[in-house]
This record gives sequence, structure tokens and C-alpha cells, in this order.
Amino acid sequence: MSKNRIEARMEALKEKNEKAFITYITAGLPNLSATKEIIKAQEKAGVDVIEMGIPFSDPIADGPVIQQASFDAIQNGATLKKIFVALEELRADGVDVPIIFMMYYNTVLHYGVEAFAKKCKEVGVDGLIIPDLPFEEQEEMKKALDNDDRTIFIQLVSPVSKDRVPMILEGARGFVYCVSSMGVTGQAAAFHKEVVSYLSYVKEASRIPVMMGFGIRIAADVAPMKDIIDGAIVGSHFINLMRENNFNPEAAAEYCRTFKKELNEL
Amino acid sequence: MNEKAYYGEFGGQYVSESLMNTLKEVDEAFEEAICDPKFLEQYHYYLKQYVGRETPLYFAERLSKKYGTKIYLKREDLNHTGAHKINNVIGQILLAKRMGKTKVIAETGAGQHGVATATGAALFNMECTVYMGKEDIQRQALNVMRMEMLGAKVVSVESGSNTLKDATNEAIRTWAKTAEDTFYIIGSAVGPYPYPKMVKEFQAVISREAKKQHYEAEGRLPDVVMACVGGGSNSIGMFADFIDEEGVELIGVEAAGKGIETGEHASAMALGNPGVLHGMRSYLLQDEDGNVQLAHSISAGLDYPGVGPEHAYLRDSGRAKYVAITDTEAMDALMELTQMEGIIPAIESAHAMAYAFKKAKEMTPEQSMVVCLSGRGDKDVNTISDYLAGKGYLN
Repeated sequence: MSKNRIEARMEALKEKNEKAFITYITAGLPNLSATKEIIKAQEKAGVDVIEMGIPFSDPIADGPVIQQASFDAIQNGATLKKIFVALEELRADGVDVPIIFMMYYNTVLHYGVEAFAKKCKEVGVDGLIIPDLPFEEQEEMKKALDNDDRTIFIQLVSPVSKDRVPMILEGARGFVYCVSSMGVTGQAAAFHKEVVSYLSYVKEASRIPVMMGFGIRIAADVAPMKDIIDGAIVGSHFINLMRENNFNPEAAAEYCRTFKKELNEL
Repeated sequence: MNEKAYYGEFGGQYVSESLMNTLKEVDEAFEEAICDPKFLEQYHYYLKQYVGRETPLYFAERLSKKYGTKIYLKREDLNHTGAHKINNVIGQILLAKRMGKTKVIAETGAGQHGVATATGAALFNMECTVYMGKEDIQRQALNVMRMEMLGAKVVSVESGSNTLKDATNEAIRTWAKTAEDTFYIIGSAVGPYPYPKMVKEFQAVISREAKKQHYEAEGRLPDVVMACVGGGSNSIGMFADFIDEEGVELIGVEAAGKGIETGEHASAMALGNPGVLHGMRSYLLQDEDGNVQLAHSISAGLDYPGVGPEHAYLRDSGRAKYVAITDTEAMDALMELTQMEGIIPAIESAHAMAYAFKKAKEMTPEQSMVVCLSGRGDKDVNTISDYLAGKGYLN
């Protein structure tokens, strides 16, 4: 059994002393073949991990940009089953970039928790982020994943997690996703007032890399935290950029190259 | 897993990590408050002097005679603001004040919970924002005006289906951002724990009174207790004190809309599968891809794709039975209650009445049932008028 792709990438970055660059795109926006082309272009441009958003009708942890993206993707026919197929095709085409599914728990429950975990392992989903599944509710999902190296569960922490951080980090794998601000995705670069001290606290407590997400647009946005974090995650801004560029894969590649370069020159 | 957050396999706390500590604070404050005699004294003071409790348990004489069994109506429609919603708002807003919060937010569909929350906020001098779907704002213009008169800000939610489910999503998102000074007052028996428990606690006054009143009238417990179910707040309040009384049959009445078979309905218990929405695991209407399906009912208050987790548990354990009533059946019952007893009920409550008339046929003249008349129909006059115009009913 080979190592988990996310964990392997994290180790490689550590050896090179590089920070990770991670993007989020709603799968099926505007359609799944566009999503596949964007992912292929991003892999070539050196993105470290790609989060594919599985569209859901009621995305309570997302701001307006991803809400609209989800809505449009559903209208255009994107479903979990079709996204599994798209990922299988990507893997068959030799795409080896670590892929995370970011999704809501109802989509998992509806598919069947066991069947979902099995399918993820088969098609090459390397990690799961489920924002409406806090630590206390994760048992069922983790049991189905069975601590298998193929698909791991990524933990989220927030600026108000405080005393919950040690509990969440124990057993966490891959990286820890630090939400930079309270609330939902995509709120400009208005980070929580105590973000630096919060990130330092998490970094101190964590055995695994610490990534920051929510509200980041350009590498310079994370300059104040560059000595703390191990990487940055861009979602809403990346979707806006893709819309502005008519989902041109080259625009995605250009953005990833620039961000990744600037992130490591901060 | 937090065992106490569950009713069997239903309930839980399916929210963002950033709300977990907030829920813990609310839970601790709530458990402390309901054991504090001073808090309870305040709550009961406002229920009596401000809301106008206790509400009567009215013996519906003509209907009882017609249907051949004793029909009692628990008159929640006589509460201040016109429905049972205010009972819970008083409880939660007193809790919010006790926790030092200065702002409250709420979601609303038909506007009844929004009006009740705006009322409570005016009374206790708190800043109030109500989230309401764009569609509902247009359909319920009068309630929007009431909320604004009371000083609340009404935010139009334009995402998804532009209705209650989306308004609730938006309220949860706002809460996740602002929980430091803001209390979220949920109006139905839904949401993450401890909300279903809080709503039940603050609505349980309905069944405590009804039980006592029925003893006074009949010297015994009722045979059947019935209420309509959207999210399930009036029904859980109506059931609360009877759940442990095994001889009392509990019936929840969902909305069958245009008919269960048409797919345009709001019967989560009849056709839903267990799912997760709005922080809870419960029965949920969903499509073949696991997206939440839109509910349909002529009654805006029952037009919700999910149901409170304790109801899901009561159903599966067999303690309560859940049935569904169509738009047409509900409107017929509404007219019958209006013309035979001089009471114009909310369309929500008319669903319970409609099933009461069916159920009465299998009961004897000595038996008795209590039906929760959860609200009055003033808010529905426009809908009723459109419906009657379409059907030519009064002719």
C-alpha cells in the first residue's frame, strides 16, 4: 500500500522547505469536463493539493460565491456519482495531484457512509473535508474510512476552537485546516482580530502542517503569518477568477504558478 | 458522540467547528436557567401578564355533537401575537439576556416566529434581525410590516429557493460570524442540540395547562392528543406532558400539500429519509442526489422539508403516530371550524382539525381528544381568499 498522497506531498514540501498552495473549485462549474481541464492545468502549474467542492443544495458553511457556484453546478447536472466518474477519468489520465472532496454530510449519508468510503478509496479521493461534521459527530465517518491510507479525514479548527484544539488535533492526519475568520468562506481578507495568536497556538500544538484558508486572494494576504503557517488555501477568489476568465485552464495555471512562487518568496 | 444531543439516532450537532463552543455555552446557560427559580418566575410572569396565559381549553360543543366525540381545543391562537411561537421566544430571549447578549437573530417563513421575536426584542430592548426568504417577503407583506414597526430589520434572503430553509441557512451563517454578541432564537423544534430541547421546554406549557384543564373538565386524561407538525414546535409542546402517559394516543399531522403521490408536499415523516440539515439529523425530504427537496404546503408554517429530531424518534419508537392532510382537506376543516364554532384558525392548525374530524369517526361519545389550535387565521386571510376565489368555495 502506497502512502497517502496528501501526506506524501506534505513530507516532500517539508524536505524542500516549501509552503503548500491549495485551491478549491466547485466540481461541475460550469461542467465536469471544464473541471477536469482546470485540474490538469493546475497540476502542471505545481499546485500542491486540490479541493473539489461537491455541490449541495444547502451549503451552510459557505459564503455567497461558493453558494452560487454550488447552485449553478447542480443546475448544470453535477452529482456525486458523476464527480466520482470524473475523478476516475482524471486518475486514469495519470493525474496524481492529491485531491480532497469538500462536501456536506447529507451527501455522504444519502450515498451511504460505508459505500461512500469504499468508493472514495477506490477512485482516489485522498482526503475529506466535511464542514458540518464537527469532531463529536465524526465517529461513523471515521469508522467507515478505517484509518486506511487511501482516504484520510482532514480536521478544521476555528479562531474560537480554543480548548477544543488538542482534542481535534489528536489523531488528525494530512494537515490541519485553520479557518482564518469566523463564519463562512469568502469574506475578503478581513481575518479574525486575533488570527496571528490563534495560528501560533495551533501551530504549537500540531504535529502536522497548518494551512490557513477563508478570505485569501493573493500570496501577500498571508504575509503577516508567513512564519507560522505551512500553506494557504484559496477558494472563493479562485472561483471568481475562473468565472472572469471563462474557466480558461491557462488562467488557472498562471494564477497557481504566481501564487505558489510568491508564497515561497514572502 | 455527545449522547445527550441525541433522540435515538436523531438530533446531534451538525454545525461548523466555529459554533461548537457557542452551542456548549448555550447548553450550559440553558440547563442552569431552567433550574433557577428566579428565571422560571420571570418566564411565567411574562407568560401570564404579557402573553395572556393560561389559554383556555375550549370544549367545541357543536363539532363534538356533529362528530360524536368530545373535541377540546387548546386555544394557543389567543396568545399575544396570535400563535404559540411567543411562548418559546419569551424563554429564549430571557436566556439571551441572562447570557449578556445584546442582539438576537431569527429565521421566519410565514412571519409568525419573526413577529414573535421582533415583539420580544422590542419588549426587552434588544437589536433584532430577521432572515426571511425573498419569496416569503412578497407573500407575507403584512408580517414584514409588523416586524419593521416593532423595530426589527428584515433581511431578504436570495439564495437557493428563497424560502424558509434558505432563511435558516443564512441565519446560521450569520450566527457563526457573530455569536460573540448575538443569540440565535430558533422558532421550531429543530436545529442543533440544545435547540430542540429548549423549544420543547419553553412550549411544554401548552401540555401542562391542557392536562390540568382536561382533568378539571373530565376528571381524567384525554384519549387522543393531536397537533400539526412542520418543524414541530407546537406539537412537541402539546405532546410533552403526555409522552409518559401511555394511555394517551399522540398524533402529529403533517402537510400532504397537493397529495403525497404528487411529490408536492411537506411530509418529511411520510416520505423522507434520514438526513442532515440545519444542524440536526432527522427525516428530510431529498432528491435522488441527496439535495434537499422543496416542500409544498398551502400553509407557509408547515412548508419545511425536515422535522424536529424528537418527532423522528417518537415516530420510530412508535410512541406517536404521524399522518398527513392535503391542502384541500385543511381548507375544508378551516371553513368548518370557522362556521361552526366562530373560530378562524391558522391554516397550519386547520391541518390538525382536519385529521381530528377523521379520527373522531373511530371514537365514542364518551371519549375525548385535545387538538392544539396553534394559531389564529388573521395572517392567512389573503391566502384563504385566493384559495376560495380559485375554488368558488363559498358558492
